[in-house]
Amino acid sequence: MLEGLVSQESLSLNSMDMSVLERLKWVQQQQQQLQQVVYQSSNNSHELLQILQFHGSNNDDLLQSSFSPFQMLGSGFGPNYNIGFGPPHEAMDECISRTSSCHMEPVDTIEVLLKTGEENRAIALKNKRNPEVKTRGEEKTEKKIKVEAETESSMKGKSNMRNTEASSDTSKETSKKASEIQKLDYIHVRARRGQATDRHSLAERARREKISKKMKYLQDIVPGCNKVTGKAGMLDEIINYVQCLQRQVEFLSMKLAVLNPELELAVEDVSVKQFQAYFTNVVASKQSIMVDVPLFPLDQQGSLDLSAINPNQTTSIEAPSASWETQSQSLYNTSSLGFQY
Amino acid sequence: MERQIINKRKRVFSLQPNKNPKALFARRYVSHLVPALKKINMKKSSSKTNHPSFEKTVKHEVDMAFALSAQEFAWSRFLLQKLLSSVHDDPVRTSSSPSEILERSSKKQGGGKHQDRDEEEGGEIKKRLKELQKLLPGGEEMNMEEILSEIGSYIVCLELQMIVLKSIVQDNIS
Repeated sequence: MLEGLVSQESLSLNSMDMSVLERLKWVQQQQQQLQQVVYQSSNNSHELLQILQFHGSNNDDLLQSSFSPFQMLGSGFGPNYNIGFGPPHEAMDECISRTSSCHMEPVDTIEVLLKTGEENRAIALKNKRNPEVKTRGEEKTEKKIKVEAETESSMKGKSNMRNTEASSDTSKETSKKASEIQKLDYIHVRARRGQATDRHSLAERARREKISKKMKYLQDIVPGCNKVTGKAGMLDEIINYVQCLQRQVEFLSMKLAVLNPELELAVEDVSVKQFQAYFTNVVASKQSIMVDVPLFPLDQQGSLDLSAINPNQTTSIEAPSASWETQSQSLYNTSSLGFQY
Repeated sequence: MERQIINKRKRVFSLQPNKNPKALFARRYVSHLVPALKKINMKKSSSKTNHPSFEKTVKHEVDMAFALSAQEFAWSRFLLQKLLSSVHDDPVRTSSSPSEILERSSKKQGGGKHQDRDEEEGGEIKKRLKELQKLLPGGEEMNMEEILSEIGSYIVCLELQMIVLKSIVQDNIS
């Protein structure tokens, strides 16, 4: 529905003309009819219009500049405009946030205008209403961390600036979490209710989220981390695991040194066995690696059928590696492991 | 029969370069280690076996192969530097000596002085992070966030290295 809204806005923005003023006058004359039409329209548009109405009911001179987008929006819905101070704050705020969550280009300008309108409204409100009305500043202090975004922390400062400007005239937060703001390339940090919204704490919160994301990745890698909770315990497990791995590498290299005289190394053999080893290790639990150092899990090759590959043949080095990789590629692809940063 | 198998192999060659980092690492590791071992073998057969230094040489080669096969990570660069610089001195063992698991520090509760639980937790976490720093090559010079990201790749590469080593050893036992 919002997409339709946006497209309408964009269209109407393009056609913004002297008709604005005419519309303004026309709309002001039709206060009563609006109410009925509003309640007939859908929920979303209802809330959106409530903003417009609310907005329109304020001092017109003050809001003249920012009036136009609302005009546009209002015109999109017909003669729906001034109704009164009816709307609840939450609906308005949700509405605003919903509009601001539109992803399309034209919304940028609209959002900016909406914001300025909001601020003006906030100022006007303060004179008239309960100081606990949620203003745009409060709403803007609530953001969201885009977990899936490849965000740059350098951009975050910019978004924080906007927010701190807005939050300068905020009073106590009273609303619940708003929906997403525009998806830009920022790290969106969500401030929960009652939490500080200044720049530093936002930055720290973003940093903490990054760290916890990395910890989660480590949790997937290190076996046995799922049972332990808390950073300290997990770090313990990680340290333990790394030490174990290093010890095993040492042990294996020693063993290699001992065996070295009898080595009949051929790269083809190694790569083939490697594939087998990896396959069986993937199948078997990782615990077996740690526990049975002298016991090689290669013994359990029941599930693997590589009889077609004769380890003793003298093919070129490329051949086995390539085939091994293609065969293993599907395995690797299905497993979710990879280097993520 | 051999011809058939060769033909079969040829059919499944991949045309694209292998982008899987794990396979890439494993292949590089093998290609580094095996020739090095062969060289050592040849040298050894010509001269007398000096057991401790031989072990050290093998260990050194193992570490070198490890560092060379994972060039894209910070810890591999540190490791490489350490290995190259230590060639002139005695080859240094890069892995930590088998130490006990980190003992949990007792919570500090001095007489009348109550620290916040967060503070204590932060202290414990910091301790562990320091331990982690020691384990990771180059960890001393990284900040905490970096350590966490590098540790992930380090662990995966260690595991791969283990698999390769095991397969090499197993290969020669059987």
